[in-house]
Amino acid sequence: MGLLEWLISLVLSPQVFAPLIFPGLITALVVLLTVIWAERKIAARVQMRVGPLYVTRRFGGVLQMLADGTRYMFQEFIIPETSDKPYFVFAPILALTLAILPFAFIPAAPGFSPVKSPLSLLGVLAVTSSVPLAVLLMGWSSGNKFAIQGAVREAFMTVAYEAVVFISALAMGIAYGTLDLEEAVLRQHLPGILLNPISAFAFFVGMVMSAGKLPFDIVEGEQEIVVGPYVEYSGIIFGIGMGLAYLKLYAFSLLFSLLYLAGWEPLLIPLYNLYPALGGILLFVKAYLVMLFVVFLRSVYGRYRLDQALRAGWRVYFPLALLSVLLSVVVRVVGYA
Amino acid sequence: MSSVSSLSGVALPEGVVRSRLLVREGGEEVYELFIGPQHPSSGHMRFIVRLEGDVIVSVDPDIGYVHRTMEKLAEGREAIKAIPLLERMTIIDSHNVTIGLVRALEKLLDVEPPPRARYLRTLLSEINRIASHLYGIGIAGIMLNHSTMFMWAFGDREVWLQLAEELTGARLTHTYSVPGGVRRDLPQGFAGKAEKAIRYMTRRLEEYKRIFLENPQVVARYEGVGVLKRHEASRLGIVGPNLRASGIRYDARIAEDYAAYSEVEFEIPTFEEGDSYARMKQRVEEIKQSMHIIRQVLQKMPSGPFFAEKYLRLLPPKLRDQVLSTGSLKFPAVFATMKLPQGEAVARAEMGHGEIFYHVISDGGSKPYRLRVVTPSFRNVILFRYLMPGHRFMDFPAIYGSLDYFPPEADR
Repeated sequence: MGLLEWLISLVLSPQVFAPLIFPGLITALVVLLTVIWAERKIAARVQMRVGPLYVTRRFGGVLQMLADGTRYMFQEFIIPETSDKPYFVFAPILALTLAILPFAFIPAAPGFSPVKSPLSLLGVLAVTSSVPLAVLLMGWSSGNKFAIQGAVREAFMTVAYEAVVFISALAMGIAYGTLDLEEAVLRQHLPGILLNPISAFAFFVGMVMSAGKLPFDIVEGEQEIVVGPYVEYSGIIFGIGMGLAYLKLYAFSLLFSLLYLAGWEPLLIPLYNLYPALGGILLFVKAYLVMLFVVFLRSVYGRYRLDQALRAGWRVYFPLALLSVLLSVVVRVVGYA
Repeated sequence: MSSVSSLSGVALPEGVVRSRLLVREGGEEVYELFIGPQHPSSGHMRFIVRLEGDVIVSVDPDIGYVHRTMEKLAEGREAIKAIPLLERMTIIDSHNVTIGLVRALEKLLDVEPPPRARYLRTLLSEINRIASHLYGIGIAGIMLNHSTMFMWAFGDREVWLQLAEELTGARLTHTYSVPGGVRRDLPQGFAGKAEKAIRYMTRRLEEYKRIFLENPQVVARYEGVGVLKRHEASRLGIVGPNLRASGIRYDARIAEDYAAYSEVEFEIPTFEEGDSYARMKQRVEEIKQSMHIIRQVLQKMPSGPFFAEKYLRLLPPKLRDQVLSTGSLKFPAVFATMKLPQGEAVARAEMGHGEIFYHVISDGGSKPYRLRVVTPSFRNVILFRYLMPGHRFMDFPAIYGSLDYFPPEADR
């Protein structure tokens, strides 16, 4: 009996529950499965098609991704003779690990985060910005020309969006006077998107670039470089490569909701009293809606060119991000006065 | 260690040959990529693309992957059987691709189609042209990863395929025109359906404009990319919409007076810019003109037989009555063994992709002695070499899409 209670208290402790169940691994997996399905359904709706249907027909084919994932599981994982084998196998594991790590810093509800840090915003940004390194390694170790092209594109794109994301997020840090995400939510009497819309816009574009969603799915670039860095991967590792972008998108959407959409506010007190993590449902809903909007862009846009994305990053969104810092300073000074 | 050796292309001790990532020719900085034949956007062919950084140095189109010896096969069978064979060259545009052949055979056989047949040919040709352009626009869309344009164009193409099916009995392989006329008369109520399709398409073209042609992202990808100058276009012998988008008003429908094109009014749209954007707009404008032609053809459709008297007379009286009453022609054995008079004939026609040229030589047998086809895609393939260099690698699919190149047609 004592063991069972100990186990339950272990699972329900924020240090385990947050990274493993919500908002971490299991929720991320569910998000992965449903957002890809939703993306395909939305695109199908716009394009006068039906979309995924045959797996669980009664529910509109919502389990299609699970079926695909199962198929990936049983597919042979081919390691090409010409690849750098240790790195080839190691890189996707590293990428997945780095993509899951941000959930260690993201608070799901007041006082409910695995790693409490006054610098949690920086923590999330730092961890997400290290994912491209693993992707670079994936591309380079594949020993394939298309994969190397993709890796180089990943490096270029990182240069294009990283500064924008960092500076526009830090502008919000200035506005709230804290780099702690939990504090930032508590200090949002006015949602950040109204407080500093420039920062929200620049961050949103940077987020789309970072997650590699249309119109910036340049790294995968199916029409030129097949799937870029992931071209030599097969089986479940290919699935991981596909899921990587969505994991990043999920982490960024949570961050966007925390910084600009007032996070879990207004807090659902009865649920929060039942179990603290349940108070984060509103945060999850907001993040999910942000994700749905990002995947909807696929039905509207094609792909920008690499140099156009770089130019946009440095000539349009970087100045915008700097402007948002200025705006934040003004907001802060006026707020104190 | 191994990342360095994978650059040099040497055989390693364990016998594994590392892929060569850099070519010696043209220096160390040239990066050679083989696009296709197994590639999402190559089509049935291969491109050898050389890059310096992100900029294309040269593109070699390597064609012939879907060569089906069409010309030789046509020499081995009766002349009339060449029609269903050759329409498989460009299955998306199968009436326009064979009408040139039918014209050449008619010249050899010295037979003229009756006016109603000429109008019916014009009708199907324009339906085919719209479907072909929609196919081209859709492929161009997906080459920019614009999946909505792709799905919309392919979905709306279905409207025109169904019209063609209504008229001919087949969605793609119509085999509609035969020497002396067409195989079927206009079905009941066709004009109403065509009018409905035209109204639908006119509305859809506006929506295409909003989602694709005037979408800032698409404009940014197309404008000023792959410029084909007017004098270059004429020097390289480019045909079809790609030529007209460079400002040259040439159309085989006017140049070679076939079907009923001299009796209907239509414009030949041209653009001066010659870039990918102009080529895309060109196709939309041509769809509008085709719909204009279809309306006129259905209004002006003359009455009378849809097949030449000369051949109708050869049919047994009972069969002749049946053909005239049902408006549908089945092939009696007399056509299969029909002898082509000795001599030669040439004909050209305007396909969706451009001008197609036929040269038929007969030695008096039932099979053609030689049947030569020059297809528009074969004439346009040279553009890959001329338009690509100097552009970014990501412009490659954009330019490819705008050219509406169809490999099976070029390879024959």
